[in-house]
Amino acid sequence: MNKTLLGYVPERSPIYAIHPFVKLFFLLVASLFPLFISAPEWNFGLIIFVLLLMLYSRIDMRIMRIYVPVAISMASIIFLAYVVLGGLHPEFTEIGRLLGIRVYWERIRDAIVVYFRILPMIVMMVFFLNTSRERDVIVAMRTLRIPFVVTYVFAMSLRAAGMVIEDFGIVRQAEQARGFDTHGKSLPYRLRKYVMYMIPLFALSLRRSEEFSNALVARGFAFTGPASKTRRADFILTHYRFTGLDAVLTALIGLAFAALLVLRFGFGWFTLDRSVFLPWLENLLLRR
Amino acid sequence: MSDISHSPYIEVQRMSYSYPDGTQALRDINLSIDHGEFIALVGQNGSGKTTLSKCLNGLYKPTRGDVKVDGLNTRATSIVQMVRRVGYVFQNPDHQLFSANVWDEIAYGPRNLQLPKDEVKARVEEAAGIVGLTADDFEEHPFFLTKGMRQRVAIASILALQPHAIIVDEPTTGQDIPQSMEIMNFLQHLHGEQGYIIIIVTHDMPIVARYAKRVIAMGQGQVLADGPTADVFADSAALAQTFVEPPQITQLAQRSAHLGFDARALSVEELVQQYFVLRGG
Amino acid sequence: MPPIVEIQNYSWRYLRAEQPALQDINLSIEEGAFVGVIGPNGSGKTTLAFSLNGLIPGQYQGIKEGTVKIAGTEVEAYKAGELPQMVGVVFSDPEAQFTAMTVEDELVFGMENLGLSLAEIRERLDWVTDLTQLKPLLEKPPYEISGGQKQRVALAAVLAMMPRVMVLDEPTSMLDPVSRKRVFDVLARLKRESHNTVIVIEHNLENLVPLADRMILLHNGRVALDGETGRFFRQAATLEQAGVYPPGGIAFFHGLMQRGAYTGEIPLTLDAAVAALEGLMENRRHE
Repeated sequence: MNKTLLGYVPERSPIYAIHPFVKLFFLLVASLFPLFISAPEWNFGLIIFVLLLMLYSRIDMRIMRIYVPVAISMASIIFLAYVVLGGLHPEFTEIGRLLGIRVYWERIRDAIVVYFRILPMIVMMVFFLNTSRERDVIVAMRTLRIPFVVTYVFAMSLRAAGMVIEDFGIVRQAEQARGFDTHGKSLPYRLRKYVMYMIPLFALSLRRSEEFSNALVARGFAFTGPASKTRRADFILTHYRFTGLDAVLTALIGLAFAALLVLRFGFGWFTLDRSVFLPWLENLLLRR
Repeated sequence: MSDISHSPYIEVQRMSYSYPDGTQALRDINLSIDHGEFIALVGQNGSGKTTLSKCLNGLYKPTRGDVKVDGLNTRATSIVQMVRRVGYVFQNPDHQLFSANVWDEIAYGPRNLQLPKDEVKARVEEAAGIVGLTADDFEEHPFFLTKGMRQRVAIASILALQPHAIIVDEPTTGQDIPQSMEIMNFLQHLHGEQGYIIIIVTHDMPIVARYAKRVIAMGQGQVLADGPTADVFADSAALAQTFVEPPQITQLAQRSAHLGFDARALSVEELVQQYFVLRGG
Repeated sequence: MPPIVEIQNYSWRYLRAEQPALQDINLSIEEGAFVGVIGPNGSGKTTLAFSLNGLIPGQYQGIKEGTVKIAGTEVEAYKAGELPQMVGVVFSDPEAQFTAMTVEDELVFGMENLGLSLAEIRERLDWVTDLTQLKPLLEKPPYEISGGQKQRVALAAVLAMMPRVMVLDEPTSMLDPVSRKRVFDVLARLKRESHNTVIVIEHNLENLVPLADRMILLHNGRVALDGETGRFFRQAATLEQAGVYPPGGIAFFHGLMQRGAYTGEIPLTLDAAVAALEGLMENRRHE
């Protein structure tokens, strides 16, 4: 796996044969799916589907370990928020008490529904970031005909972020060399002392920004004015060809979305009433 | 209490270092550094010279072998204890300066060591004095000082920890000659007058020739040559492997050895003198 | 044909500075010349570089006196985006001037800004990567290449725009000797193969001196010395006063000159120095 600014990308992968535009399109469209799906088992299926895509793309699944704490803490927050602060309706079923608070089935149900809507979006984002090198994202944006200035600002932010990350390593060592040691110190202490990292990073960025903007001018770049209206050749796009496969995949994604909408609004699929999992869980909890 | 005059201050024993991603940077290094040395660590980028320098004060811990400073093993000692013994000045002062004024910047180290207030004050004033900062400078905000002044503040902040040895990373890169000489003269003063061990990591050969007493040349993660400056510059076989060239004046002397010149000349003055001697006065 | 660079009575003072950075500069540079500009830090070298491509007064505030003409036209008279086509600048910090996410994108960026066609871009890309030996690095992102490689990319990116004048502001001050040599190798090849006017600002004279036909010394914002390289380096006293330390070979012959023991040409390379020394010792033997 190679480390890029956006994530760890595999060295070789079948996903590289696909035009970056398709990947971005997939991310944008497929992220909308959970919004129309209430039944958690369908969203769970969507997560499995994306995970399978990740396996197919030869992503090293060990990177998912990084996201496990995030998933758990998010689950806890959503669960607690809904149980304590969720809506109240006279027809809600109480299934017990937790530390004096009434626990309603409906609130738990809502928490589960929301959680399984957010999770697929995150997994799709992870999939996208871990199969895209920085250049792929830029190509995808240019193919979408996003104005050059926007794309370029994005690219510059990536570059700047890269420089900050490199600097951060050196700053950490430089402060260590002055006896700054966070070993075994409490979290509030570490947070307070973070200014020792932030200020040098800030100072370095400030000093570099002048040369950075001078470099842009020297390359004939202008954000505004007549010089910015020149027709760009977009050489970067010559590396990727939009093939028949890409067209088919794009169409498939579009069709899947259309099918989703039809099934949902035309036939009532994916709604809470049609869920199989939720009634099963409700029974389980009420029997207690 | 160890016999200081006989045991080296820094000992590197069969040390190897590999980065977290697995690449090996240093291979089987053996070194010893005594009190009173002025050493130049040279080698091209990627030779391991910077990595080695960071192993010498505990910033990097060896993956095999040991580095001992003042008898303490760097792997078993906290970084705070290490930096009290071996200070490290980074190339760009902007990587470390973060306080709102010079006084606080220099005081950070001693304060971090939990020293009493009057001790901190004494150390700050002493360190500032050594680098040539005056009381007027104490209130200045480091960000707005010139590069040379910032570098001095950075050095003072390390000096305030009162280490025995100082490692300086690229003291002269990016500076013009008068500025380079100023900083090197200052390091020489620290070495001579104040008794510090000085280790510079550099690729500025004329500076090495003029100031360093001992040169350690690195290549492909190993020590290729280690000895008095003139000896190392004369070891063309080792230097060729490390892509380091002696300063032009030494090269001139080496290529004029057949005319009677001493191939080990390190300075222009030396070679000029030799010329007049050879000419017969 | 007017000189490609013509500076007359030029002074520049930055807005909040007490002293002008440059005073009464009069300089005339012919097309195709290879000029070295040296001097201590603070002598105005970078200000001069920025004055040539319009960064001054375009991006910096201050007071300007006199004229700076490129190809007969005042710097301020050029429309936005035109001057970078005439005068290219390579800066000293390899990190800060790498603005794209791969080497190829960086090289192509300037050309796209000029509105060149795909075919022209491809052609120039081939030429420039061959000249600077960057072909194996084209797909690499900035965080996978060294400072020296980044500087060659900067050089190539500017060359790809084919400016008539190349200004390099301390291009190798942050590089190690090996990378430094490689950058100067590219400059040497450029000198042989093309008609660009090249102005190099440097501290490190060893690599510059053999290439420069003419040297200019800036001291305290003024031109302290200006002439053909050989004659330039005879002025040992002036150079020393300005804090310039020539490479060992030249310094050695300065030493002899100062004692009255040498009156010949100052050798500008190590080989020339060895030859001159051999010549001297021969002469002594014959006396």
